[in-house]
Amino acid sequence: MDSNIIQVILGGLANVIMVLLVAPFFQGVLRKVTARIQSRQGPPIRQPYYDTFKLLGKEDIESGEAPVMQRFSTYLSLASILAIACLVPMGFKAPMSAAGDAILVIYLLTLSGICMLLMGLAAGSAYSLVGISREMMTMLTLEPLIAISIVIAAIHTQTFRLDAILNGGIYQSGNYPVSGIIMLGVMLLAFQAFVGRVPFDISEAETEIMEGPLIEYSGPKLAIIKYAQMAKLVVFSAIFVGIFVPWGSELVFPLAWIFFWVKVFVLVLMVTVLAATHARYRIDQAIRYFASMLAVGIVALIIASNGF
Amino acid sequence: MSVTSKLKETLICLGAGRVTLPYPFKAEPVPTNFRGRPIFDGNKCIGCAGCANNCPAREILVYDVCQEVRIVKYLGRRCTYCGRCADVCPEKAIAMSNEFENGTNAVTDISQKLDIFMSTCQRCGRCFKGAQVLDELKMKGYRFDDLQNDRWVFHSQAYLDKEQTVDDIKIEFEG
Amino acid sequence: MLKNLCQKMFGRSLWVYHANSGGCNGCDIEVLNVLTPFYDVERFGIKLVGSPRHADVMLCQGPAMRSTGKALQRAYEAMPDPKLVFAIGSCACGGGIWFDSYPVIGPVEKIIPVNYYIPGCPPRPEAIIYAVAVAVGLVDKRTAPVTFKQMEFPIPQYHPADLKQQGELVVYEKTEHI
Repeated sequence: MDSNIIQVILGGLANVIMVLLVAPFFQGVLRKVTARIQSRQGPPIRQPYYDTFKLLGKEDIESGEAPVMQRFSTYLSLASILAIACLVPMGFKAPMSAAGDAILVIYLLTLSGICMLLMGLAAGSAYSLVGISREMMTMLTLEPLIAISIVIAAIHTQTFRLDAILNGGIYQSGNYPVSGIIMLGVMLLAFQAFVGRVPFDISEAETEIMEGPLIEYSGPKLAIIKYAQMAKLVVFSAIFVGIFVPWGSELVFPLAWIFFWVKVFVLVLMVTVLAATHARYRIDQAIRYFASMLAVGIVALIIASNGF
Repeated sequence: MSVTSKLKETLICLGAGRVTLPYPFKAEPVPTNFRGRPIFDGNKCIGCAGCANNCPAREILVYDVCQEVRIVKYLGRRCTYCGRCADVCPEKAIAMSNEFENGTNAVTDISQKLDIFMSTCQRCGRCFKGAQVLDELKMKGYRFDDLQNDRWVFHSQAYLDKEQTVDDIKIEFEG
Repeated sequence: MLKNLCQKMFGRSLWVYHANSGGCNGCDIEVLNVLTPFYDVERFGIKLVGSPRHADVMLCQGPAMRSTGKALQRAYEAMPDPKLVFAIGSCACGGGIWFDSYPVIGPVEKIIPVNYYIPGCPPRPEAIIYAVAVAVGLVDKRTAPVTFKQMEFPIPQYHPADLKQQGELVVYEKTEHI
């Protein structure tokens, strides 16, 4: 019993450490490929590591309305993402997935979105309040999409257990997985918004509202927030790959792990190419887009509950 | 907003390659007639202060220490590299060079200071043309060139100096 | 140990905040040129950020005016340590051509301490990159003060401004004018 618990904890920690090490690397790849598309030599791929270490060494100015809430929301944003990382299989079956189920994953995903709202409210400047109001509007129409995907997978596999859902559960229907294909299309179109990149980075618009909710954060807190954003890219890609692209996870251990990271890399490249060639959406254009996606998602949910 | 147009745009941009200039590691060619930092030549300056009167930013300062010595100081902070001083100088002592790499951490680094001898006669006070560079080469008085080692000697003190005061020009033959 | 690592990383990723306190925007355009693909400065890790709280370096442009002097000081105090200030253009280095005009206080260094000066009107983008490379430590600086003396003059010099009246006597008091 004891060795079992230790194995479970080590398995969960392995996932967390993997995400911590690899997240800046994917961000670096994103910046470098963006630069190459713009015909220039970009920063070296290890640049986000340098950025994070430099930010950790700066002075921490505690400005803003409620410094205690600022600290709390900063740590909470990174903690919620890493908690999801413990539960999600990343190439091998996560030993800790028995500790939570699908409802917990939906809750943690929403929590990581709410942390941005807490950060903006704690800062209290006018720019951050505008940023979080836009983030709230975006979240209202966007979070249901990933909840619908997980619920459809739960309906098909008749269980809430994570190792069944995150293993291609959405394709397990009886005759034809129509709802699975519909949700795959919807999530591909809406993936940019979950990870918060152009054209949907409305809440942290750099040039419009001076970096939105992040405006009063400096030094180590900013390092943690930027780290959480980088980790969000990796964890969301892992969830997407787990639900929608499960083929290849039945191989032997090293091959399946490498294959998983290759799939995540391809997804990050898709995000990069879309980010480099588009302009930012206005908030009303973005909400109209998400609302149409949500309507299609609800149609898929109705189809799934009828057995397709 | 179709997908194919974005893909075409990506392929066109990637086809342009990498256009970044490797600037600080390789020198950059400067266009002709580029006005960089003005260089003041002390040998040609006669101390008329025409440049100081003409500078729109009042960057050139003139100070008379006594009747014979005038200090002309160029502080580089406010200089806009307009070239009016070079235009107006009667002796062409100011040249707008090609140097633009003037970033520095101490603002006094860009200054140039010239002590000019105003060439007034000590007896009557009228100006005369001072010693030009070519006249200084004629070196009036006794000469002590070193015949054994084939070298020129400018001052008698240097005769005692064992090292060469002037480097011989080295001419290399081709082929 | 972590402190050493953080200090070494400082030169490799400088985040820049641009503050124009009353200039003509010529140097603004040159700074924007530096961020384009041709002179790409992001390969040194430099990124433009929108808030002074995120930035390490403040690029000041334009002379300090009476209307924007206070705002510039507050932006400087909002930056976390360690920080650098670059004064770009001859307006920020010394006040420019407008140094004695009515709304101009003077150069930027009258309000905030400046670390690096980049003169020019406007400075070429290569000149800005060169100064950034000097700050980071990649190249050496190329200017030094120059003094030229046409003739060594051993006679002591009495300038009429240095002669002071003290009662019956006239006293020579050397004051530093230059």
